[in-house]
Amino acid sequence: MKFAIALYSAAHSPSSRRALRFAEAALASGHEIVRLFFYQDGVHNASSNVVTPQDEQDLTQQWAAFVSHHQLDGVVCIAAALRRGVLNEDEAARYQRPAVNLKAPWELSGLGQLHDAIQSADRLICFGGP
Amino acid sequence: MSTLHVLSHSPFSDTRLGSCLRILGTDDALLLCGDAVYALQPHSSILKTLEAKSDTLKLFVLEEDLLARNLECLPWATCVDYPRFVELSIHYDKVNSWL
Repeated sequence: MKFAIALYSAAHSPSSRRALRFAEAALASGHEIVRLFFYQDGVHNASSNVVTPQDEQDLTQQWAAFVSHHQLDGVVCIAAALRRGVLNEDEAARYQRPAVNLKAPWELSGLGQLHDAIQSADRLICFGGP
Repeated sequence: MSTLHVLSHSPFSDTRLGSCLRILGTDDALLLCGDAVYALQPHSSILKTLEAKSDTLKLFVLEEDLLARNLECLPWATCVDYPRFVELSIHYDKVNSWL
């Protein structure tokens, strides 16, 4: 079974954790994740500037490790990311901003990538809210 | 076409649960996770609403969220872990998250 997973909430939201646990369980059950799409506040999950207290779960780190380890397609909505200050090297240079906080394994791209993922997946599962 | 409805907002803070129950089809199911599991708060009006539908409502509850809030599953509902959540999302034709 092919899954497309969209996440609309930041890493400090419990729904980010639920999305990650769901994604882990999907792969563990032998299913495929065609794409992870991070939209709206979900773009904060891909920021490399998030600092989590030591006694809490570091979801941004866990997401990055999960995507890297399984070589998944982790796409961050470019429009949502720009307005929230989540920039890769190209965008930081383009808009003359002093910092870069989006690096591999993440990729900035458009909403079309979500549409494309929905077309090729059997199921779209969205996580967001609290 | 069957749909699994997924709620994560507390039923005591908005009207999502009521709206969801109103449009729930006969083949559909409801999965409560996050603060939505507060719907199982004993003696609450929300729980009474759910109990009144216990004959027909297919209700699932994410176990870790229930445990985190020290609530107990209902005898007629089903507690699920993440692998079972994945299975449910496949069993139903669509998953509708009430974001």
